[in-house]
Amino acid sequence: MTAAPTTPRATTASPPDAVAARVRGLRKTFGSTVAIDDVDLDVPAGAVLGMLGPNGSGKTTLIRMLLGLTRPTAGTVELLGHAGDDLPAALPDVGALVEGPGFHPFLSGRDNLLRAAAAEPRLDGDLRAPVDAALERVGLTDAARRRYRGYSLGMKQRLGLAAALLVPRRLVVLDEPTNGLDPAGTRDVRRVVAELRDAGATVLLSSHLLAEVEAVCSHVAVLQTGTLLVAGELAALLDADAGGLVVSTPDAYDAILALRAAGAPSYRAEGGVAVPPGPLEAPEIVATLVGAGVAVWEVHRRRAHLEELFARLTEEDA
Amino acid sequence: MTALETRTPTRTPTRTTAPLGRLAAAEVRWVLRRPRTLVLLGLLALVAVALGIGIALTGGPGGDGDGDGPGLVAQVAGNGLVLPIAALGLALTLLLPLTVATASADAIAGEAAHGTLRGLLLAPVGRARLVVMKAAGVVTVAVLAVLVVAVVGVLTGLVVVGGPGGTMVTLSGTTLGLGEALGRVALVAGWTVVQLLAVAAVALAVSAFTEHPLVVLAAVLGGLIVFGVLAAIPSLEWLQPLLLTSGWGAGTDALRDPLPLGDLASSSLRALVYVVLGSVVTVVRMRRRDG
Amino acid sequence: MGRRSWVGAGLGAALVGAVGVGLLVAPAGAAAAPVLPPVSPEDLVSSVIAADAPALAGEVEVDNALGLPAVPGVPQLANGTSAIRVWSGGDGRGRVALPSADGERTLVSDGTTRWAYDSRERTVTRAPAGEGPDGPADAGPDAQDPTTAATQAVATLRQSSTVTVDGTAEVAGRAAYQLVLTPLPSERTLLREVRVAVDAETRLPLQLTVLAQGSGEPALQVGFSEIAYGPQDPSLFTFTPPPGTTVEDAPARDGAQPEGERQGTTVGDGWDRVMVGQAPQGGPGQQPEGEARPEGAPDLSALGTPVSGPWGTGRVITTAVATVIVTDDGRIAAGAVPQQVLTEALAR
Repeated sequence: MTAAPTTPRATTASPPDAVAARVRGLRKTFGSTVAIDDVDLDVPAGAVLGMLGPNGSGKTTLIRMLLGLTRPTAGTVELLGHAGDDLPAALPDVGALVEGPGFHPFLSGRDNLLRAAAAEPRLDGDLRAPVDAALERVGLTDAARRRYRGYSLGMKQRLGLAAALLVPRRLVVLDEPTNGLDPAGTRDVRRVVAELRDAGATVLLSSHLLAEVEAVCSHVAVLQTGTLLVAGELAALLDADAGGLVVSTPDAYDAILALRAAGAPSYRAEGGVAVPPGPLEAPEIVATLVGAGVAVWEVHRRRAHLEELFARLTEEDA
Repeated sequence: MTALETRTPTRTPTRTTAPLGRLAAAEVRWVLRRPRTLVLLGLLALVAVALGIGIALTGGPGGDGDGDGPGLVAQVAGNGLVLPIAALGLALTLLLPLTVATASADAIAGEAAHGTLRGLLLAPVGRARLVVMKAAGVVTVAVLAVLVVAVVGVLTGLVVVGGPGGTMVTLSGTTLGLGEALGRVALVAGWTVVQLLAVAAVALAVSAFTEHPLVVLAAVLGGLIVFGVLAAIPSLEWLQPLLLTSGWGAGTDALRDPLPLGDLASSSLRALVYVVLGSVVTVVRMRRRDG
Repeated sequence: MGRRSWVGAGLGAALVGAVGVGLLVAPAGAAAAPVLPPVSPEDLVSSVIAADAPALAGEVEVDNALGLPAVPGVPQLANGTSAIRVWSGGDGRGRVALPSADGERTLVSDGTTRWAYDSRERTVTRAPAGEGPDGPADAGPDAQDPTTAATQAVATLRQSSTVTVDGTAEVAGRAAYQLVLTPLPSERTLLREVRVAVDAETRLPLQLTVLAQGSGEPALQVGFSEIAYGPQDPSLFTFTPPPGTTVEDAPARDGAQPEGERQGTTVGDGWDRVMVGQAPQGGPGQQPEGEARPEGAPDLSALGTPVSGPWGTGRVITTAVATVIVTDDGRIAAGAVPQQVLTEALAR
């Protein structure tokens, strides 16, 4: 992967069957516009992968190619072990909400779901039970018999989620699932994602809401202008991006002098000094400070937030 | 919130597409619940009724003045069983093609516009099966549309227009009994369905290329008008065998006695060629179409 | 689906299209001329005259390039291709159907009565057999029944024509001799050749082809496109006026033929014979505006181009095979001849 050479890919070590989805050398051009440029990505089985990127970064195009809705210009897609012309064989186990919910306005939400259920290979016999269960799950039971035409944006989004959850899935792909949802709806989506994760399903979630991704995702992938900037386990990425140590001390001036003498640059921060990652490891820094007679109240690792990471990555690139 | 666990996967089928019968049934149910389908079917019924009432009001056979309308319509006066055939002929010029073109436009282009085509492709309904499923819906509309005109036409013809003792007077001056007359109506109805299937196949092919249903309607109705214009240009007479519409007068042959089958057969053959061409283009296009 | 299968599917569609178009467009296919024992023109003509009219059902195709003005109700006379359905009982009974786009004229002869039914008017005209104006043999000026047409052509033109049997042909799936009549060089006529295809077995004229000077395409071709010999359903040759129609007895022959051939004289003979007579009901030039014309007589006043000469002034109507001059004083001259021959005849 050329896009983020500095980032270790969390999934390289996983055995092939532990990968729910895998793309290699994926590229998509529309005329002279490059929508996706040579993307390699693995979605580990059981992961909740958040795909981040500004609007127009290619998130939806990537998802559409992953699901076989759009043909890649180049590259390969593998979904639940199926690839190429066999890709549709994976789809019965994939639930998806892509590019917003698509339903017929003249039918009720329930009838729309019944129609979708008729097309589900994994359903047999009476379709009403799974439909009602899915409606219940997204909290639409009360509005089930109203026409889709009269649904609010959030209700439409919930119905789309219900359609993706009609059958137990091995992979669920949600493209901007909280679009138009109120805080309660957002909470419901989080709950559903957590349930899916607990049931062993893999979830691929695209969003531009960093907090949402940080709250529910185990993995992230960051896209910008068609290029994958970084992908991997969220915790590892944040750790790797950690900003060194923060030392609480009343003797900030002495501390900075002592560290400079030891070869580690530092600067004054609120309540003490901040030591960016450098030649010295944490124990050596503490030893240096203590040896210099600096009063150390507290030393802790400075954890990065996804927001910082994202901002740094996307700004760096721009 | 335990639905996921309670729905045990023990009976979960391992097939990769839903059964075709269930898909087709769902499609037909969807088509028949769509308001515009019902409106068009109602309009078609209205055409037959209005034709019958209009003729009954303007006078009986040989009614003087400008009572004789265009074409076959004049034949209906006092000869009610001609009404379904005249109504089918009249509706075939615009309303019936409009009905199947609307159904075809909604079938693929309309689904794409609503974002529901994506859902079907992701289910997944196989792309070739999707065409079969869509064809089932459109064929249902075509058959129903023709049935509505034929049945309402027969009833209106018998009740409102009336006729010589439940018989039909042919263009050749012979008189057919009720049974044979209904047989002729059924023949024209079947023939009309075949012609509409040709329109539907072409409309579906156009529908497979766009996500704007209006483009399909414009292409099909515009195409029919262009065919009519081409047919009227004497120096383009060699084109006639290729034009779908040039066989559309053959329905009148059902009112001749003895029944000449030549034109009915050749126009049906022509329609079937359109059906095959349209289907091939639709399937080829749908196999590549983005969802 | 890769590019190759895409191309394959495209080729498949193209193939289906080509086959379909072929099915739609391909003519029946010009079969090789059948091999038949030679026959002299005289024997052929006499066998035609001697042959009994067989029982048959068929479809006659009229390919008309005569350039006649359109006459309402009889689309077969106008330029273009039309079909006539014919049934013959072989015993004087017959049925002819002249279909139009949304109607039909039906002529039935049941042996004693001739019936004519017009679906547009829903009128039945009845006449005793052998006299009525609407019998099958009388259906049009060019005698769309090939039997009568060919027989008359042979008898009339023999003295002024070379008559040969020019090979064989297949017409409506039947092997046929080609009887060819060519005007002698001395004849001044618009016609180049008249061909009659005669069924080798039944000696029934199957096709009449009229070729005019200066054109490779036939000016008129009347012939069976389908024919099936054999006894026909007797019910075809009966006619019961349908309920709700008016039945009229045909009036005695009226002036339905505007050329005035019955009152006229002929000038010359053979191919360049010209008929001269009086236009019925006064000349078209004198016909007062708005006065009703006799039923069936087309309005000639608007047709043709003005001409004048020592014989007077009038209008000339030219078609591929015939010329007609209607003078302002009500005379009519007509023939299968150039205009000059007509003016000479009028000047006499």
